[in-house]
Amino acid sequence: MSRPDASGWDQQAQQALKDAASDVGTVRIALRTAARDRAWSSYTIVLVAKAEETTGKTEQDLSSVQVPPARRIAARETLDLLSQAVASVQEARAHAADGRYDDPGLVDELTRLAKALQAEATKREAAAQ
Amino acid sequence: MKRYFAVLLGVLTAIGGFVDIGDLVTDAQVGARFGWSLTWVILVGIGGICVFAEMAGRIAAVSHRATFDLVRERLGPRVGMLNLVGSILVTLLTFIAEIGGVALALQLVGSVSHVLIVPFVAVAVWLVLWRAKFSSIENVLGLMGLALLVFAVALWQLGPDWNEVVHQLKPTSNPGGESWQTYAYFGVALFGAAMTPYEVFFFSSGGVEERWTRKDLGVMRANVFIGFPLGGLIALAIVGCAAAVYLPQGIAVETLGQVGLPVAVGVGKIGLAIVVVGFFAATFGAACETGLSVGYSLAQYYGFQWGKFVRPKEAARFHAIVLLATVLAAGVLVTGVDPIMVTEVSVVFSAIALPLTYLPILVIANDPDYLGEHRNGPVANALGLVYLVIVVIASVAAIPLMIATSTGQG
Repeated sequence: MSRPDASGWDQQAQQALKDAASDVGTVRIALRTAARDRAWSSYTIVLVAKAEETTGKTEQDLSSVQVPPARRIAARETLDLLSQAVASVQEARAHAADGRYDDPGLVDELTRLAKALQAEATKREAAAQ
Repeated sequence: MKRYFAVLLGVLTAIGGFVDIGDLVTDAQVGARFGWSLTWVILVGIGGICVFAEMAGRIAAVSHRATFDLVRERLGPRVGMLNLVGSILVTLLTFIAEIGGVALALQLVGSVSHVLIVPFVAVAVWLVLWRAKFSSIENVLGLMGLALLVFAVALWQLGPDWNEVVHQLKPTSNPGGESWQTYAYFGVALFGAAMTPYEVFFFSSGGVEERWTRKDLGVMRANVFIGFPLGGLIALAIVGCAAAVYLPQGIAVETLGQVGLPVAVGVGKIGLAIVVVGFFAATFGAACETGLSVGYSLAQYYGFQWGKFVRPKEAARFHAIVLLATVLAAGVLVTGVDPIMVTEVSVVFSAIALPLTYLPILVIANDPDYLGEHRNGPVANALGLVYLVIVVIASVAAIPLMIATSTGQG
């Protein structure tokens, strides 16, 4: 298990949040494109399934890092956001596999999550400096 | 008329065959993270590949011999071996990435894991390299590669703010706010992708395969000076599509599916089908080129009979090398290694190996014993030297930048 100092943890958290925001953003575009009948299902499924895989790995990697005492609250918030991202991307993959692309609630949730992940990444970047 | 047709076909296949998995991935990654601000690197890279491909093509047309053959003879076995090792490692890495790229392209159609597709792709590549005529490989896949022009249509359909595009063209604009180290790392990767060593070795060996003579110099130059820059427009369109769709949302490109998604957004299902055909053609074509280049380089260095202009039986060792390289590439990919990661590594290692490839070409292109009156003139030498300085800088900077940025993570 890696044991970074507060600044090192902030950097790792920032990267994880940025990666997750990128995956969530990709899934959102893929679903919206498929909902507008501009992409076929296998293409959408491959994109979303890959995002699901990498988001899960991102969360797992960060959760295996020892949190410095000064970052316990930030770690809880970050891991909570990452776990929400994993859950939403999983739901998106299930929707894509069923051919249900047009779920405004899910797209709104992905939009909210992408923004929240980006905002948290910016906070971690500021804290790391 | 026949001559005009040859020029047209050569230019079209040069355009369609210009882009490979390294360009597809790196161009899209750069567009998503740096917008248009690294366009100047693509332009410099296109200039460089034109300068050295013209020299390599001229060497083949005048001396009727390919590059590795002459490097060993002119510079001795030690320098020849250095040249061989550097180039073959990068070409093999690129070959692995291209076969992986074909599998990823097919995965986008069938949803089957790319690992399961790899063995079939490897067999198909080997069969084509063994059985198909050189000109058929080049022409069919090169023309199919023109499908990637759909990126230009998609860019037009996406309708970016052209004033913003002009602003981003300034090298210092860096609209994604990335660190300058990361900017430099991707600049080196982009340059490595544009100037991949196998491209000149394949071009030179292809000239020998097609029995170019001095009379073909005009056609060869048209291919290089018209085809390559127009092929570079595809690279710019890929950058533009990624910049339009991903940059505003802070999305990084990590998969081939993401590279094509902006085409779906801009053009729809028909565009997506065309782009997947383009992905297939670009990666399959480059897999054939890199596979052949591995065989060419080893056979030319050791003096085996090589090429597709003779029957496979007469070039048995050449075909055995190609077969072994294909088995090795498939073996690496079925372990589950990510072809995109292999691609990212291959373009950076390509940048590292650039001087080993381009210095010998410059030396041979100046040798009157091989080229006579067709040896480099002052303009070719001036451009060659300028590019040699650039490739040395890129080569020296590649590893430190790779370490400092954790392979471009920031």
